[in-house]
Amino acid sequence: MPKPVVKKEYPLSVRIYLWEIIKGLGITWRHFVKNIRYSFRKGPHTVPTTWQYPEDRRPISPNFRGAHMLQLNEKGQELCVGCGMCAKACPAKCITVKRGKPADGEEDRYAGKTMCEEFTIDMLRCIFCGFCEEACPKNAIVLGQGHELAEYTMEACIYDKAKLIANFEEAKAAGKLKPKPKKVPVEAPPKAEAKKPAAKPAAKAAPKADKAKPAEKADAKKEGEDSKE
Amino acid sequence: MEDWIIDLIKVVFIWVWCLLIAVVMTWVERRASAMMQDRLGPNRAGPFGLLQPLADGIKLFTKEEIIPEKAKKILYILGPALFAIPAFSAYAVVPFGDKIVIGGKEIILQVSDVNIGFLYVLAVGSMGVYGMVVGGWASNNKYSILGGLRSTAQLISYEVPMGLALLAVVLLYGTFSMREMVLAQQGTFLGFLPNWGIFKQPLGFLMFIVAAYAEAARVPFDLPEAESELVNGYHTEYGSMRLGLYLFGEYVNLGTLSGIMVSIYFGGWQLPYIDMSAFLGPVSYGIASFLVFFLKQAFFLFLFVWVRWTVPRFRYDQLMGLGWKSLIPLCLVNFFITALLVQLTV
Repeated sequence: MPKPVVKKEYPLSVRIYLWEIIKGLGITWRHFVKNIRYSFRKGPHTVPTTWQYPEDRRPISPNFRGAHMLQLNEKGQELCVGCGMCAKACPAKCITVKRGKPADGEEDRYAGKTMCEEFTIDMLRCIFCGFCEEACPKNAIVLGQGHELAEYTMEACIYDKAKLIANFEEAKAAGKLKPKPKKVPVEAPPKAEAKKPAAKPAAKAAPKADKAKPAEKADAKKEGEDSKE
Repeated sequence: MEDWIIDLIKVVFIWVWCLLIAVVMTWVERRASAMMQDRLGPNRAGPFGLLQPLADGIKLFTKEEIIPEKAKKILYILGPALFAIPAFSAYAVVPFGDKIVIGGKEIILQVSDVNIGFLYVLAVGSMGVYGMVVGGWASNNKYSILGGLRSTAQLISYEVPMGLALLAVVLLYGTFSMREMVLAQQGTFLGFLPNWGIFKQPLGFLMFIVAAYAEAARVPFDLPEAESELVNGYHTEYGSMRLGLYLFGEYVNLGTLSGIMVSIYFGGWQLPYIDMSAFLGPVSYGIASFLVFFLKQAFFLFLFVWVRWTVPRFRYDQLMGLGWKSLIPLCLVNFFITALLVQLTV
């Protein structure tokens, strides 16, 4: 059985339809004026509902997981020791690390006794999960804020060591480095002590890093909100 | 200067001006609709996207011209021209300004002050529908032919109320010439209102504007090209500059209809309460009257866009019902009242 058609009786004022059209015109006019006014607003985020991407860029949380970088310490030494923990942790198997010893006379270029001879990340496979970052005992590999990663060739998407360090230099110049996962306790012990038991701090670092995460995230959130306002 | 040179200049000027209005209207339509819908609209080409019509034009000109295999070739090519030419030529009798004195010669700002200007507008205005019908027929496409058929049905339902609404105006002013009608709207009405047609013929104006929207096939009466029902109606099969001519013709048509509305119901080039010719020089008065006319026209052009993004489309039978059952009786009533008043007062 089809539904019976019930004809709704409208009052004459609605059936004339003219007044309704005028009311509708009023609604469109309000939207028109509002949008015209907003389009002359200064600063980023000029349009009420959307961010105009190439012109307006949203502030990115420092906790963002974007393009990778290999960090250097304050002396400009490479932190990576080539342990390969990141490669092990990587669920997408996109990291290749080859461990090596620094050549004679180049020891002061590296923070550890060993270094990575080769460090490539296949950005086409990476899923930006951040496991490598968590696994790293030296806080050497970090996911930064770079997110415009399109390239013209597949080869250009495979990042080598030089590119990763360049990423770090870029982020450092822009002041967009990731805050260290643990803040106060690391500074306390002198360096000589930390170096002796090489394996232990590495094992400790990981859980500590995990603990530090939530607090840091909260910080990051706050920052994000601040910058939004 | 010879008279024919002046006429030629006027023709070329108004032709270019029509084109310019149509070009800018495509931009206004897109940006204004975006602003009304909380979108942005085309804003990439040039400042505020003002060069977008140019980009569209280049695109339309350089596209391949496709004629469907089973289309009626001659009619298919003829369609857009039949649509666009009446749209342009109807502008000939619209007075777009009062007069300008250059070199001691008085030039009337109107291509030609025909004494049957009114009938000319009606006749040429309804010619444009042939473009739609011919285009729809020649395309050999079911959606196109449906669009063409709808435009015919719409024409029959809306030419009658339009003509009746205008007939009341003719009764009121006692002339067929557009220029004389505008001149008759000087001064004030009832002591405080400007002596405009809208105050003497409010119902007539309402009928006329509804019929004009139907005549221009604009929302809410855009049944010939209803996108959601008929793909694109009568110009579904058209591409390249032939489609461009259809789209252009539509906007030129809007310009003409707005011009007619302004000249008949809104006092043409005259400002309310102020007589511009009293304190302006002959040349500047001509320019000022042109600008005043254009501003009024621009408002009605914007109203077309404004209404388009406010009101939904009428159903086919509702459209016919509105035309035959409401507008024609109301127009007759309006006509009768006007006739009575004119008879009593004169």
